[in-house]
Amino acid sequence: MISKRFVVKRLLLLIPVLFGVATFVFAILHLSPGDPARVIAGQRASEEFIQQIRVELGLNDPIWVQYGRFLMDAVQLDFGQSYQIRRNTPVKQVLRYKLPVTLEMAIYGQLFGILLGIPAGLLGAIKQDALSDHLTRIGALTGISVPIYWSGPLVILLFAQVLGWFPASGRIASEFDIQPITGMITFDTLVRGNFAAFESAAMHLLLPSLVIGIYSMALISRMMRSSMLEVIRQDYMRTARAKGQGSKITIMKHGFRNALIPVVTVIGIQFGTLLGGAVLTETVFGIAGIGTLLVQAIQVGDYPIVQGTVLTFAFLFTLVNLLVDVTYSYLDPRIEQ
Amino acid sequence: MSTQTETETEDIGDRGVIERVRASPFLSQLLSNRLALAGLTIIFFMVAIGLYARLFIDLQSVTQTQIGTNPNVAPPSWWGQKEGQIVTDYGTWAYPFGTDIQSRDIFTRVLYGAWLAIKFGTITVGASTILGVGLGILAAYYGDITDNVIMRTMDVLLSFPSLLLALALVAIFGTGLWKVVIALTLVYTPRFARVVRGAALKVLEDEYIEATEALGAKDPRVIVRHILPNCLAPITVQSTLNFGLAIIDIAALSFLGFGSEAGTPEWGLMLANGVEQGLLTGDWWWSFFPGLFLAITVLGFNLLGDGMRDALDPRMRETVD
Repeated sequence: MISKRFVVKRLLLLIPVLFGVATFVFAILHLSPGDPARVIAGQRASEEFIQQIRVELGLNDPIWVQYGRFLMDAVQLDFGQSYQIRRNTPVKQVLRYKLPVTLEMAIYGQLFGILLGIPAGLLGAIKQDALSDHLTRIGALTGISVPIYWSGPLVILLFAQVLGWFPASGRIASEFDIQPITGMITFDTLVRGNFAAFESAAMHLLLPSLVIGIYSMALISRMMRSSMLEVIRQDYMRTARAKGQGSKITIMKHGFRNALIPVVTVIGIQFGTLLGGAVLTETVFGIAGIGTLLVQAIQVGDYPIVQGTVLTFAFLFTLVNLLVDVTYSYLDPRIEQ
Repeated sequence: MSTQTETETEDIGDRGVIERVRASPFLSQLLSNRLALAGLTIIFFMVAIGLYARLFIDLQSVTQTQIGTNPNVAPPSWWGQKEGQIVTDYGTWAYPFGTDIQSRDIFTRVLYGAWLAIKFGTITVGASTILGVGLGILAAYYGDITDNVIMRTMDVLLSFPSLLLALALVAIFGTGLWKVVIALTLVYTPRFARVVRGAALKVLEDEYIEATEALGAKDPRVIVRHILPNCLAPITVQSTLNFGLAIIDIAALSFLGFGSEAGTPEWGLMLANGVEQGLLTGDWWWSFFPGLFLAITVLGFNLLGDGMRDALDPRMRETVD
């Protein structure tokens, strides 16, 4: 059971944090060295023109007026218009178009992480200190030590360049022209019934999701292992054994749900790292999601885009953490106290 | 398993005799952990390489284009030859890791990269440890408003994925290795603050703190002499694990183009060049070697940190019957 009170309390606690996050994002624009008006106007613009832009953007207003306006707009997810990258396009629209790309990759990556990490961790726990256990442990530690911007190029070299099994970059072969519905390309192609396009999209997604999932897998398997080992030592597990519940496997099933609790937390926290990793993965694989968008926006000084993306990332991250807490309280009702 | 602590007395002259609890179970536990030992060995090795590079490799020589020595991108000289390559070093160890597009020897560059990684990693972790420990202890010790102000600020910083926060800070500070170090210091500080606050709160529950205060010890003395030493274990573990992360993140920001200046023999930047210019042509050595050294160094810190955590966590010492 999830109690409503717990969820409401968690939601209320979110307000000051989100407020702080918004304040920080507001500060990005005002602490940055560049003059936004100059970025928009271009290098050779006249002083009057720059001044005119400053007035239009309200940059001459007192800071608290600007802050208030920013907060009001942010609540409505309005971050103004892009200065450079998609000149005069509302940031909201740019994000609407780019976010699904990143989310899709992150979701597949997380799926890889969960599907491979949980069994690997269980294997380690069942046969503690056996060879398989040591191998999964070393594998997991290696997994978190290998940076995405190294494993990415390596899998591209091996699977795309040498073996030629998968495409090296992009989202889909250029011959397909899929009108977006959700923007998640594997979903859209399936809904439209274009299986050839789906296959192409899936082939394009496989390497990036795998690379981004390695890290998740490593952390999930580690947590699964140690959590399972801890559960095995609990009294109720001894009771189960004493009652004569036969094989080790049965006992494992008994403890699995309890062992899963900390794993859920890791999966949630992991999602943040995954989003951060998306920036790198998108850069390596040439995927135009919000990760590459942010990097580009910082490079050219497109602050509305920077603010919009950073706030979106923070919002997603916070949302996932909230979901984790709620799931946690469902799995272990004692947490609420 | 026995976990008795050895006590040792030491005569310190007219100030009396102090009794020191040796951290022997921790150390022996750590040293018996083969993986942790492997990690420690890797770290020593990388530090040695870094120091060697700092002392004996001329930065100029690995930054500048080496015109005339080797005319183009060449694979490791033991590996083979590229088509149309005009080199005479084939089959020798002249360029064990190959050369890049500016004909620079990747091997010496990778060695120099070890120095940069260790140096900037140490500064980042050191600074965030000091900041985080300070804030964490203040929050725990003074409680109330101090605690709330500090920890809510930390919460805000923690609600960004770490690399994203670093990018946002880079947008504010501008680019360059030192600015990356400042950005990452701010990114890691909340983690230390949280860990230390938790540990310090536990220490504060102990009666001897109350006793010390009753004896008239002032705040700084209680904090430095009593709270801090008792928080050292979790701080050390956190620092070690964070070291690997710092090295990865510094290189990541360089990889994205926000860190080191063009030409710097820094691993992240070398990887970026390798991916940009060498990937499509299949010049694997270009990104392979800097990445390999980076991954091994990080693995070293993760192995050691993991071993430390196990050694500190008594639950991990038991074995299942």
